Amino acid sequence: MLVDTGFVDIQISQPYDTFGEAKGEKKARLFDVYGYTFLARKPG
Amino acid sequence: MSKDLAVDPVVLREEVKSKYRDVAVNPSGEYHFHTGRPLARRLGYDSAIVDSMPDAAVESFAGVANPFSLRSLEQGEKVLDTGSGGGFDCFVAAHQVGPQGKVIGVDMLPEMLEKARKTAESMRLKNVEFREGLLEEIPVEDGWADVVISNGVINLCADKKRVFSELWRVLRPGGRLQFGDIANGKPVPESAIRNIDLWTA
Repeated sequence: MLVDTGFVDIQISQPYDTFGEAKGEKKARLFDVYGYTFLARKPG
Repeated sequence: MSKDLAVDPVVLREEVKSKYRDVAVNPSGEYHFHTGRPLARRLGYDSAIVDSMPDAAVESFAGVANPFSLRSLEQGEKVLDTGSGGGFDCFVAAHQVGPQGKVIGVDMLPEMLEKARKTAESMRLKNVEFREGLLEEIPVEDGWADVVISNGVINLCADKKRVFSELWRVLRPGGRLQFGDIANGKPVPESAIRNIDLWTA
């Protein structure tokens, strides 16, 4: 969706184990859910 | 509701409000996600900045990643935080951009906005402002922001195409979007995607 919107120079971080040891960990593991940081630039 | 959307945006919004209102007024409650200082440590925030903040600035933090990890902000930049919650990322941003910069936080929850405003006042931050609004209709003028940040909020919006269109609108040409969010590595069944209860579970 970033590309579709027009953003460029997109970077994605390594995954964060956002839900590890939290109550929602089991559900997160079920679908391999992790947190990520995204960086993108609007051309100009 | 658009037939292209998996769930009704209004119904989802009310569900999200209910969940995060609790995080605002009862930050030490039990949630399915981490909150506060332990979460900030887990996500690798600069401990020198976090440790300098009062508890009220950190305790309702419920992000999913670190918008500052791939690139820090620069002195004097104008920053918009979409879905600013209790204001934690705004306060980190204010530290990075310094007194010549400006930070606006937008959130839809009055309880979060009230908390964030009180905390900003207690921290004597003159360059941080909080506005009530939605990511689908951001109350900021076209091209205002050098940087837009967000943390764990876009995934809670039903109409992501519209959200990204708004993020694009408020960024100046050459501006940056730095956001944290979740992504799944395994496919989620269509039935689960359409189950609104699972969006905030």
